[in-house]
Amino acid sequence: MASAVAPPPVLKQEEAAVEPSANDAISPADALYDKCAERPQGHTFFQRDLSNMQVAETMAELTMILQELCDRHLLKLMTFEGDPCWKLRSRADAEKLRRLTPDERLLYHHIDQVQAEGIWSKALRARTNVTQQTLTKCLKSLESKDLVQSVMSVKFPNRKMYLLKHLKPSEDIAGGPWQSEGDFDVALINTISGIIAQHVENETCIRVPGNWNDYELAVMHKKEEVRDIEEAPAVKPYRPSRDPNTSRLLHKHNPQYPTAASVADWLNSKEILKGKFVREDDMEQLLEMMVLDDRLEKISGTNYRTVLRAADTKAYNGFVDAPCGNCPVFDLCGNEGEISARTCVYFGQWLETTSEEV
Amino acid sequence: MAYTQRETPVLAELCTFLVEDIYGELAARVYSILARYGRQTLAAVARASYLSGRQIKYGLVILLQQHLVFHSGNDAPTTYYEIDWQNSYAIVRFGKVTKLVEDRFGRKAANVMTNLLALGHTRIADLKEAYFPTATESDDDSDDGTANGTGSKRKRANGAQVNGAATRKNGVPAELSDAKPDSAVVANGDGMTNGDHKPSKANGVTHNAAPDHAVQEQGADEITSVDELYDLIELLIKRGWVRTVNETQYMSPGDMHDMFQQEAIEQDNNGATPTGTKDRDLVHRGIIDRKRAMRDEWLKVPRFARTGRPNSSNKRVKMNGANGWAASSAPSSDDDLVIRVNPEKIAVAMRTEQLVHLVEQRLGYLTARIYQTMLRMLESNIPRCWDEWPEPSLPGGEPGAENGIDPHFLVTARDVATKLSREMDIFEGLDPNAVVQITRKGHVHRTNILSQPIDPSRLSLDEKTMVVDKHIQLLSEDPLHFVTWHSRAGFSQWHIEFEEIAKQMIQTEVENTISSRKGSLGVKLIRTLRKKGKLDERAACNTMMMSANDIRGIVNDLTIQGFVQTQEIPKVDRREAKHSLHLVWYDRQRAREKLLHDTYKGMVRILQRIAYERGKVQPTLEKAERSDVVGKEEQYLSKGEVDTLKKWKEVQEKLLLQLFREDDLVATLRDFHGPLISV
Ligand code: SF4
Repeated sequence: MASAVAPPPVLKQEEAAVEPSANDAISPADALYDKCAERPQGHTFFQRDLSNMQVAETMAELTMILQELCDRHLLKLMTFEGDPCWKLRSRADAEKLRRLTPDERLLYHHIDQVQAEGIWSKALRARTNVTQQTLTKCLKSLESKDLVQSVMSVKFPNRKMYLLKHLKPSEDIAGGPWQSEGDFDVALINTISGIIAQHVENETCIRVPGNWNDYELAVMHKKEEVRDIEEAPAVKPYRPSRDPNTSRLLHKHNPQYPTAASVADWLNSKEILKGKFVREDDMEQLLEMMVLDDRLEKISGTNYRTVLRAADTKAYNGFVDAPCGNCPVFDLCGNEGEISARTCVYFGQWLETTSEEV
Repeated sequence: MAYTQRETPVLAELCTFLVEDIYGELAARVYSILARYGRQTLAAVARASYLSGRQIKYGLVILLQQHLVFHSGNDAPTTYYEIDWQNSYAIVRFGKVTKLVEDRFGRKAANVMTNLLALGHTRIADLKEAYFPTATESDDDSDDGTANGTGSKRKRANGAQVNGAATRKNGVPAELSDAKPDSAVVANGDGMTNGDHKPSKANGVTHNAAPDHAVQEQGADEITSVDELYDLIELLIKRGWVRTVNETQYMSPGDMHDMFQQEAIEQDNNGATPTGTKDRDLVHRGIIDRKRAMRDEWLKVPRFARTGRPNSSNKRVKMNGANGWAASSAPSSDDDLVIRVNPEKIAVAMRTEQLVHLVEQRLGYLTARIYQTMLRMLESNIPRCWDEWPEPSLPGGEPGAENGIDPHFLVTARDVATKLSREMDIFEGLDPNAVVQITRKGHVHRTNILSQPIDPSRLSLDEKTMVVDKHIQLLSEDPLHFVTWHSRAGFSQWHIEFEEIAKQMIQTEVENTISSRKGSLGVKLIRTLRKKGKLDERAACNTMMMSANDIRGIVNDLTIQGFVQTQEIPKVDRREAKHSLHLVWYDRQRAREKLLHDTYKGMVRILQRIAYERGKVQPTLEKAERSDVVGKEEQYLSKGEVDTLKKWKEVQEKLLLQLFREDDLVATLRDFHGPLISV
């Protein structure tokens, strides 16, 4: 990096460049701005990137240039992990900002800070300490200048949240595809998760009829090894049903396990959710919820499959299947006294015996 | 205090019940004093009770014989007595133990086990005596038809008597020795007078519980020679079901710790009390090493002398595969060896059973059989579910056993295929496409039916191995990861991460409990919190995709039940609740302990109800047990009385079955995994 002392003339020249009057020679600040503008929109610049553009000759000069661009609202100063960094603003936006009153600028600054999360007008007032009137007036003006937008929060339906115009409100205030008017759309969620459960089942399970491998029958048809069938069934300790009308749902062998991305694609392609696009994140939220609901289970990393239960038992465990495990007066029940095992009506019902009267 | 020695008043109550049921009122009275007051001297017990010194001593001898009580040894000036909670609770498992042993080693071994349970610790010579009495039998009154009632009780009493000498030698403190000669009287006498029903409780439900087989049982299951008995004992010791008894097993964990600490300080730290971190670490390591050494000592297989059959041990070596136990039969006086049931092994076997059951529910019958085969093969190499004294990780940070797993903990698909009975339809539970891929015969119709059916019993061993491997893959893919792949040896080689599975089993039981009480919503909340940690209402709503109103109720309910914790973090100085952050979370160790505690209490209630139900039919029961009535029930008992008895049997059976299922839950919650680190 150049170590020469910044020559004062450059500074002069730069000051001149700040003047709106058109100069033939483009100022270093504008040169830097133009170079930055070549990068994709929304790019974040670090000091290293900017000095590599070789517009400024020294660090001191670069600092001056950056200061200037910030003052002109063409750059926005931010920090990332403690290091300063910058983002570009369009000239039009910068122009609008330059024309703001100090109050408006203050409010704009705070709204800018919360980004997509938005900020409630009351909170804004608390932070900026402006009067209610000023607040109302300024916010209106900012909205009319297309710099900020207001959105009703889905979380707190009576709160107006402010955020910059070009941002998409976060899910917290606008809600994802699963929400409508601020709350989870239970009916929609149930329908869609039902459809998805079926989809995942088709992908990961196979329904096998009872007679899928009826080798005994096959043997019988051949009429050769009749002796075998007489022996075989007798010793089998456990024989799955051969009835073709019964069937079992089993885990598929080597399936393509669905992932949040694949299910989202599938759902979007089916266009079941009219007008709504389901992002991978949204789908992950839903699938994870279905895991909590015990409808899906997660297999290594990002794969999901259907939860199968081979046995349909109603038993829970030794404790809760006995009367005491679900007893409403469990904590009051003692070794003696009015509530005890002797007087217990629940045991009485369960065993069909009488209990001591109290 | 050692984890296993933590007790709660409820557990004390439960254990006192169990002791009274099996060992009678006198033992129970002494026991309950220790349960209530904790560690006591003989004199203190005497002060706290209305029993005579003699009675107390009798009581203590019974308790010591059964390892229900620790004592601090003869060296110290005063001897202290302290309850062994773990062993006391284990009384409830007697019936189960017999079943577990029978499933694995057959009825004869189960019979030996049953007797060991009934006798407490036993000198091998005495056990032999019990099976093959020398000429004069004075106490042969147990042969009569008193099925499981008084007969077996007397049996136990005999045991105590026969053991007299051994017991004194082995751990009964000198101050109790004068109680010995009369112990038979105690046993037969007042201690046991109450309730002939008692042993039948242990028998009650389970398949063939404790004292049911009289020692001299006749028939095909009879042990016919002393050598056979020795073989069985040896087998049980080698597989870790029975262990040898020495003085250290009488010591309470606290005393044992003190002793080893003393030793470690003297030997490892030149007698100086450790001050620095390094010294303390050294001594700590020394203590743990000593505890491990002592414990391993208990499980050492002693050498047995034979009377005949020189080849017996060879046969066994073959049977056990590469169990490394040389066929040496160097004579030694093993008759004096004192043995007892190893409670840690029981927990291992119970874990096996429960895992198999779990797999059967999740993946089906056959996959469960495969898992059972794997687990049982590993079982003989697994001395305990979790290690209370694991090797401390080395200071260098080097993880203990980083390269590879002890081959004893591995099992291959081929091992299983070889072991598996030919009668099993090993295709059950598999995708037909997987089957065709292996057999390469025919194809799968669109209806998922094989074009060429295949008889599973006609597969080659290679094919069978591959089929088994498919089942094992199902086990490994399950979110519970019942097995974990290790290498390609034997087609595929696996090990089992018991630690993780045990945690999940605990979680499953907590969820089952909540599911039964609060349905799927409660389970959903618990799972949410388990996955996400501490949450405020909003985050919980987001994860569960529900509105706050829908979850508030369940959060409240589960908080009251103690499964969910809440916390309020004030955000403003005035601590207004409105402005505070309200967090909800789930602490699995707390939930586990709460559920365990409640289960103990549930068991107490069941025992109380049994007592109550029995009380109601007591007169009829007594009549039915009168010697003139037994065998001629139809003649002496009215229809009403017969019905009453029948109903009582059903009621008792139902209650006992429930009790044993609650014990299964206790095992899952308490025995399969050490303390969990709270979140
Ligand atoms: S004994 Fe009866 S009242 Fe007492 S806890 Fe059990 S079910 Fe409830």
